[in-house]
Amino acid sequence: MSFKDEDEVARYIGGIFQEAFKDEELGPTLADTGLVVSFRYTEPDAVLTVDMGNHQVYQGERDDVDPSATMYMKAETANAYWQGAVNLPFAIARGKVTVEGNVASLLKLAPLGSKLFSVYTGMLERDGRQDLLVDK
Amino acid sequence: MVATGEQRTYSSVSVSPLSFWATTAEEREESFRLLREHDPVSWQVPLEGSLMPPQQQGIWAVVRHEDIVYVSKNPEIFSSAQGVQQEEVPGDILAAAESFLGMDAPEHSRLRRLVSAAFTPKQVAKIEDQIKNQAEQIVDDLLATGDCDFVEQVSKRLPMWTIYEMMGLDPAKRETAAAAADGMVSWADEDVAAGREPGQVLNESLVTLLSTGMEFAEHRRKNPANDLMTNLVQAEIDGEKLTDEEIGAFFVLLSVAGNDTTRNTITLTMKALCDFPEQRDLLLEDFEGRIDTAIEEFVRWVTPVMTFRRTVTQDTELRGRQISAGEWVVMFYSSGNRDESVFADPHRFDVTRRPNPHVAFGGGGPHFCLGNMLAKTQLRAIFDQLLHRAPKLEVGEPSYLVGNFVRGVKSMPCRLG
Ligand code: HEM
Repeated sequence: MSFKDEDEVARYIGGIFQEAFKDEELGPTLADTGLVVSFRYTEPDAVLTVDMGNHQVYQGERDDVDPSATMYMKAETANAYWQGAVNLPFAIARGKVTVEGNVASLLKLAPLGSKLFSVYTGMLERDGRQDLLVDK
Repeated sequence: MVATGEQRTYSSVSVSPLSFWATTAEEREESFRLLREHDPVSWQVPLEGSLMPPQQQGIWAVVRHEDIVYVSKNPEIFSSAQGVQQEEVPGDILAAAESFLGMDAPEHSRLRRLVSAAFTPKQVAKIEDQIKNQAEQIVDDLLATGDCDFVEQVSKRLPMWTIYEMMGLDPAKRETAAAAADGMVSWADEDVAAGREPGQVLNESLVTLLSTGMEFAEHRRKNPANDLMTNLVQAEIDGEKLTDEEIGAFFVLLSVAGNDTTRNTITLTMKALCDFPEQRDLLLEDFEGRIDTAIEEFVRWVTPVMTFRRTVTQDTELRGRQISAGEWVVMFYSSGNRDESVFADPHRFDVTRRPNPHVAFGGGGPHFCLGNMLAKTQLRAIFDQLLHRAPKLEVGEPSYLVGNFVRGVKSMPCRLG
């Protein structure tokens, strides 16, 4: 199962960053990285650009922000990733995730990401989105 | 609870900065000697790394032989499951790169058993003859080439050839795989990184090895042959098989564990045999009779794997120091192998040294080097060829890799004399 459209992707995947920005530990840490990461999804097509430094998530194509890295994947891969069910190096090796730009910067974010897995599943459960929960 | 009130002052002898690891092993030994004597379980600033900021306040440095053995043999207290490198590495990378080296029982035992089942005596016997032929070929080429870089021309070739030949990997893919294996242990070195960020070097190397390993596993499922990869995809214990991911991670482990270790042992043993010509003569007087004993001294002398880490699972005590659950303990094999309480005259390269209970392959326990027999077979074959067929071979100064894990040599000139 995956998301219906870009709005849903923004609501959940974008939402996870909004949650992280509010967190008193993660918020400042993410801001300090100053990273801008663009996520380009397929099935459904969706684009999110996350500006960590300014705590902003943009939906849709933007030509006024300059990402330091761009990640390409199916939306369902992102959904599984945020539930802790995707190992990034394996996914890249399998071609399920493609990264353009500074991979090193993304690796630095990885440990922060894992702190958000339970937040994400909590969000899905709260909205009754059992259809999006993956088996691990 | 163990008192957490113990003063945690950092040791006055620091082994943490990369500048320390940029000095020679002999210079570092001066610090280890002090630590062995005065501060055998010392509290150190986290070893300086380059991937991620350290999440630990410090690490415990274990430098005495006896303590390295104790840590190695008590995996319930000193766990490998949270990684075995000194640097903070993202969890995803650990899971993909360390295979069973970074696991505890029962997962470790299950995987190690499955993999060991693929290293059948038949497989090992077959490779032994091939290693001899390959060593001969390498020295043929060396004699034809003349003066050259010993690492490129000799040391690099045999280990890479051996593991990938055993595996059955397509020769066209071997150079790329071996270069990626190098990247896995040398991201901190500026030459290797060539302008890339350390994390990028690591990730690119890892992804290259993983995809090579997984594609190869898939290929062998469909096209079985007579090699280790075929054994791995078919290996089964109690109805359980390895997944492609597990094989991919093991391919990474094997590529890393089997390449640099033996390569650097060959390089630095050659240097030792040139530095101490009377030991070379002694060995040559009765090569067949002395080589097995000598090989133990080669690996002790070189100690190509300098450090491995464990994470403490419960509050514990070591030499009177209170160690809390979750803290890191780093074993310094280089130091254990110069421990004067175990080795008489530890700074002497002595090809007849016996007994020689070195910890170069680990301090015993469940993770003891799986490839130690294979490494010894390679060392025997290459030095048989080198010492007998290039008797006047001399080497120059090695150029060392900077890093706190593998004692690596990037290049070393040699003259055939
Ligand atoms: C002179 C050469 C070598 C040295 C000094 C060396 C050293 C080591 C050390 C120190 C360990 C960890 C031991 C511990 O944690 O207690 C290890 C583990 C290992 N080595 Fe080697 N190694 C060498 C060659 C090889 C080769 C050629 C192979 C390939 C077949 C290999 C495969 C492995 C594997 C698979 C492990 C993981 C074992 C486990 O976790 O159960 N090694 N090695």
